[in-house]
Amino acid sequence: MSIFNRTRTAVLACAFLSVTPLFTQETALDPLSSLKIDLPPDAPLNLISTSMGDGSRATSRGGAIVLDLHMGLTLRNSGLKHIRGVTLLITAQEFAPGGKGSVARPSIDVPPGENFTLPIDIRLVRPVRETAGPLVRVQLDGVLFDDLSFYGPNKLNSQRALTFWEVEAQRDRAYFKQALQARGEKGLQQEILASLAKQADRPQLDVSLMRNGRAVGSTVPATDHVAQFAFLNLPGAPVQPLEGWAAISGNEARSPQIEVVNNSGKPVRYVEIGWLVKDKQGREYLAGSVPASETTMVLPPGQRTRLQQDTALKFSRSGRPIEIDGMTAYVSQVEFADGRVWVPSRRDLDSSPLLRVTAPSPEEQRLADIYSKKGLAALVAELNRY
Amino acid sequence: MGTMNHPRDNDLALLAGGEAGRIRRFLLDRHVRTCADCQETIAEYRELRSAMAEPGLPDLNWNFLAADMRANIRLGLEAGACVGTTHVFRRWNPKLGIAFASLAFLVVAGFFLRDLRPLRIPNTVPTVDAATVLRSTGSEVEIRTGSRSLALLNHHGDAANQTVSARGDIETRYIDSETGAVTINNVYLQ
Repeated sequence: MSIFNRTRTAVLACAFLSVTPLFTQETALDPLSSLKIDLPPDAPLNLISTSMGDGSRATSRGGAIVLDLHMGLTLRNSGLKHIRGVTLLITAQEFAPGGKGSVARPSIDVPPGENFTLPIDIRLVRPVRETAGPLVRVQLDGVLFDDLSFYGPNKLNSQRALTFWEVEAQRDRAYFKQALQARGEKGLQQEILASLAKQADRPQLDVSLMRNGRAVGSTVPATDHVAQFAFLNLPGAPVQPLEGWAAISGNEARSPQIEVVNNSGKPVRYVEIGWLVKDKQGREYLAGSVPASETTMVLPPGQRTRLQQDTALKFSRSGRPIEIDGMTAYVSQVEFADGRVWVPSRRDLDSSPLLRVTAPSPEEQRLADIYSKKGLAALVAELNRY
Repeated sequence: MGTMNHPRDNDLALLAGGEAGRIRRFLLDRHVRTCADCQETIAEYRELRSAMAEPGLPDLNWNFLAADMRANIRLGLEAGACVGTTHVFRRWNPKLGIAFASLAFLVVAGFFLRDLRPLRIPNTVPTVDAATVLRSTGSEVEIRTGSRSLALLNHHGDAANQTVSARGDIETRYIDSETGAVTINNVYLQ
């Protein structure tokens, strides 16, 4: 080693030893001061308390703030109706153009005057210099009541999401109640065991999603090929998919486009298509959904429209990319112009083995969990509650 | 019989001219007294020295040359005075010293730090399209732009069902192990 290298190493070591404590030092901040919770004064919910769980901390490390929040918001139904679902909007300053989140609690039945707790677990990393004001803001986006009426600013279209979850919950509660009435507790047990088996077998993918960066309909790169969707036509669907395709490159699918026709007698303002992908080994996965544009669509009876999204999705499983070999689509949600919604019936969902990979509804997931943890009697009591 | 170590020629030359130091002269004298070769060398140096002491000079008019040189010097000084005052050169200029010290510091610092790449977090608000990636794993959904990130995590890391919308959002749905209620986290790209 030359004298220059020895000198340089020595100076760097001294500099490192003197500077390292400055960068590794964690400066504890107050997590509560990093958070602002806004509920409108006329909201049917009151904030009763905010509890910070273990591990909640806001630390300044080097040039960044790392905020870890594990908290529970205890809210009270201060309205006059039973609450069926709540959505809170989570925003962080530095992602002002986008990058917002939400925490929703569907499938609940909270009578007037009763409390319930909503967990919020957030991790935020951002530069230390942008510290003016709270780091995270929590606002009410919507409350759905048992008569499907709604309260809230609805910035995230929470009304639609909460309504779909509630209609799915009513469908599945009715299904399991019918099994109980028709076949007794043994019949209910068989159905709930089948649901648990289906959930356990359901393969899940890790997905990363980003904006495509090119216009929809632009030239497809040479490495891509255009793959067409195959369709599952559900008998009772008011909207039918006609044709569709997406650009595929290895484990990436981008710019899906699907043309649909309104076969119902009512105008439709929202359609969502369920999207299944098949890998080279023939395994099917639920890749996601292709929804209609939020604001522009009103589809009269008999008319066609094209659902298209300019995003790229990459699929992997256990860190390994999933090579896409085929795609299937089906209509999963429809909202009519009058606010009523359609979801596939249980018979529709059982009509094809492909649909075994679809996610259970939140309510079916909750009922199965009650059976797993508390047994059949608790499940029967829950179904008889409302 | 061992071989004798003779002093170097330049030491002998200094001794011959009477210019060696005291200690050196003492040591050299001790050797030369018993060494015929060195005595001969010193004698040659002394002859050469006496021969150089009276060199023959050319036959020149030295007084004329001196007067000519004085006139040229005077002429140069007067010409300089006509052009203007000249800055006298200073041996020490503090400002110049500071400037050179700063330059030297920059050069040295650049040398030592040339391979270091300090972590910098951009302080501008990014746009969503600037390589913003939304990703899900079993227990969280995270949106990341460069070194900034926002993640919604499942309470206690409970296992979740996830749904991706091509519109630009990912939803994870899990059962809260404390309350048995379903919680749905959703992170949006816009």
